[in-house]
Amino acid sequence: MTDDRIDAELKRALDRLPRRTAPAGLREMIEARAARPRPARVVATIAIFAAIAAIVFVWLRGRAPTSDAIVAEAVNDHLRVLYSERPVEIASGGIHQVKPWFAGKLDFAPVTAFAGDDEFPLEGGSVAYFIDRKAAAYVFHRRLHVVTVFVFRAEGLPWPSTGLRRVGRVDARVETTRGFHVLAWRDGDLGYAIVSDVDAGELTTLALRVAGDK
Amino acid sequence: MPSAKRPAPLSEDALRHLDALFHFARYLSGSEREAEELVQETYARALGASAQFEAGTNLRAWLFRILRNAFLDARRRAKASPIVDAEPPDDPAPNGEPLRGDAELELLRNVVAEDIAAALLALSPDARAIVLLDHDGFTESELAEVLGCALGTVKSRLARARAALRERLRDYARGS
Repeated sequence: MTDDRIDAELKRALDRLPRRTAPAGLREMIEARAARPRPARVVATIAIFAAIAAIVFVWLRGRAPTSDAIVAEAVNDHLRVLYSERPVEIASGGIHQVKPWFAGKLDFAPVTAFAGDDEFPLEGGSVAYFIDRKAAAYVFHRRLHVVTVFVFRAEGLPWPSTGLRRVGRVDARVETTRGFHVLAWRDGDLGYAIVSDVDAGELTTLALRVAGDK
Repeated sequence: MPSAKRPAPLSEDALRHLDALFHFARYLSGSEREAEELVQETYARALGASAQFEAGTNLRAWLFRILRNAFLDARRRAKASPIVDAEPPDDPAPNGEPLRGDAELELLRNVVAEDIAAALLALSPDARAIVLLDHDGFTESELAEVLGCALGTVKSRLARARAALRERLRDYARGS
């Protein structure tokens, strides 16, 4: 018996592995990314500089930030997550691995009632900056979409009191800007902002879970 | 003048390898979802580093090397999590007497795809990678480039990986 015959039979055995083509959604996403006129990193850099310029402009004008700042910041921070080579600093083995990881990194406990499930699996978490403060960024997935949930101290931010929509037990600001849906609300000492390009109804479903309403 | 939406030449060439990269990632990671993430990460890294790619060199090997590195990075990150299973050791210890001659040929003829996939996943990541790439027709120099090893070590690594795969398949035959 020669090794050649064994190798040939091993090759035939490996031929039996089904060859699946890349899912259509994945192909579309990659083709869209490849078709961008500028590399993502350049776009991210421009977005960061634009955000900094906007903040400096507001500061120079001596105006307090409006509630629009929460929505704009949420989208900018979500873009930073999308463009990051390492969107999560702690990969998820479940919320019970991710939540304790924030201890010592934040001056508050980033409470969330939702641990991730089959519909919205939790990828992990990282520390982000939300306007002028640290935030916990939980990264979830919905099919091929990334959803970022920011949790931060609510005090001192310009929370709106009108134009809110009831989402479970919280009143949330619901906005769509630059192609992203944003839900933001205050719950006691903590503020929450959920951002994604996923369908607005699905994002509301996730918001209900994060806020603790099923 | 090309449209702004038209992919750059590197992108067009790179997209031709999408299905092969997905197949590789699928069996390297053992998970369709992880494969999608790995392929996304591969293209993000490739497009971000496209200036570093030298035209005329082997684009396929470059992309597969990026994917393998992304896979290893993900595994390193996952190691920080106590719930992630450890990767199998490089060379599994033999378990009983090897099959000989016709018995092994018979086993290989009858083994089903599920068992092959499971046996592959029981190998170390490097062994898994070299078996998959060799089966996809990569030359020895391409294998060396993807795996980041010396050309002179490719043959022996491939032989060890094949032997380990046969060993695992034999275990499945015993268990069935």
